[in-house]
Amino acid sequence: MSRLNHTDLELFERGVLVRLSNVDAGYGAATVLMGVDFEARAGEVALVTGPAAAGKTTLTHVLRLALPPRSGRALIMGVDVGRASGRQLAEVKRKIGYVAETPTFIEHWSAFDNIAMPLRMIGKKPREYADDVRELVDFVGISEAADLPVEKLSGAERRRCAIARALAAKPHLILADDPTAGMSPADGRRVVRLLAEMRRVGAGVVIASQDESLADCAPILRWRLERGRLTQVDTSLPAETEASE
Amino acid sequence: MRNALTGVERALFWTLAFAAFAAAAAGLGARAVDRLAVQYETQRNAYAIVRVLAPEGPAGLSAAESALRGAPHVASAAVMDAQRAAQLLTQWGGGEVLPEDLPPIRLLEIELRPAGPNVDVSGDVVAALAQGGVTAEVIEAPNTTAGGGAVSRVRTAALWGAIAFALVMAIIVSLSARGLAARRRELVTVMCDLGATRGQAAGRIADEAAVLGLYAGAVGGALAGVVALVVMLLVIPAATIEALPQMILPIDLAPIIAAPLGAAVAAGAGARAAASYFHAKAARLG
Repeated sequence: MSRLNHTDLELFERGVLVRLSNVDAGYGAATVLMGVDFEARAGEVALVTGPAAAGKTTLTHVLRLALPPRSGRALIMGVDVGRASGRQLAEVKRKIGYVAETPTFIEHWSAFDNIAMPLRMIGKKPREYADDVRELVDFVGISEAADLPVEKLSGAERRRCAIARALAAKPHLILADDPTAGMSPADGRRVVRLLAEMRRVGAGVVIASQDESLADCAPILRWRLERGRLTQVDTSLPAETEASE
Repeated sequence: MRNALTGVERALFWTLAFAAFAAAAAGLGARAVDRLAVQYETQRNAYAIVRVLAPEGPAGLSAAESALRGAPHVASAAVMDAQRAAQLLTQWGGGEVLPEDLPPIRLLEIELRPAGPNVDVSGDVVAALAQGGVTAEVIEAPNTTAGGGAVSRVRTAALWGAIAFALVMAIIVSLSARGLAARRRELVTVMCDLGATRGQAAGRIADEAAVLGLYAGAVGGALAGVVALVVMLLVIPAATIEALPQMILPIDLAPIIAAPLGAAVAAGAGARAAASYFHAKAARLG
């Protein structure tokens, strides 16, 4: 029996990538997110800001299907997370590009191989993906380090490598958890612009960060998370300005 | 197989190879015990003693010897003198028996040819003796005392002992292979984050472990085979390089062939179980 609901799929086809309705989530006895309502659409960038320990990382874990909601309904790309099978969740995960706060790599593999991994997982051969991966490597600005093992990369290069990997399989939804941590303000803004660029190819982007000024980098819908409660700051996208470009 | 034979995997490789060697050696040992037991049983069944009841004295023994020459199943027959009887009694009874202490002996030793399972060998021999005018009885090696039942018990014990030992080695291989999965945990985590199902992530690690197990098992099995050949050459006087192919039956190669296959299966299963666990941990937080 299919656990996919046609109404949910229609929602996804209309561009609603994520819809959280009254979601509670947490770890062990602690409830971190309380009654969260959230929506992310294709071609839009959402910035979730909030102080440390507000629940930003927990929200990204819910969105990347690593943390099941305790209550409420989480609809990610037309799939109800609470009712989906392991295979369906894996399928949805393949449509999500995730940039962790501390990205995990196969450390002894080259940056190129790590970036190509999502493509290898969907069965592409090196000759099919080599050009695309090289292009990505150039796009994130780590051409010189592409053939080095990831363990030899600097913190900023690792972050860029993680972004490239997240974009490799042309995901529908891109999640970035504190992607500018440890970077200079200029580098951080460049990284956010890089991520925001993906809205142009129809992807939805969700960035979690403490830095509210990142909202100036691109047309971004702002959300505010405090003590596990999420509120929407902008109800419509600001117009694109030269500054945001 | 990426990096499966380098660095830290080398230790794992030799652990698996040693386990496979031990299992294959146990299998070969069990097979050797089995062959010795069969050989002993064959020799035991090929021997019987004829006791002449009538006519008495040397005439009876001589007539019996003549009758036995043409008797069915009998390969050879020889009158047992007092010297031989004393030797046998000393061997079987434990204490020394002197020929001069024995009464007149009315026995013949006979060697029998192999017969089918439902053939009454003793009855046929007694009938042949009767045709020659001799009343006698045939005393075969009994199946109820030490020699008979022990052979099948020894063979069964060798078989199950080898199987049990191989299972223990398989568990060791399986647990060792979990170490490989632990070292590949970051790969499992990354694959999980990128949307690999549990089967995909665990399968990849299991394949790597299985290939490592296959190679290690082949090395362990080959080493066990070499050791077995050296032992045969040293222990069996008739064993020569030329005679070895005839001495080694196909079944003796089974433990050597089973070692790599068993090691591959056990290593793959162990690594798969561990990788599945790591995937489950990575897939669901909280």
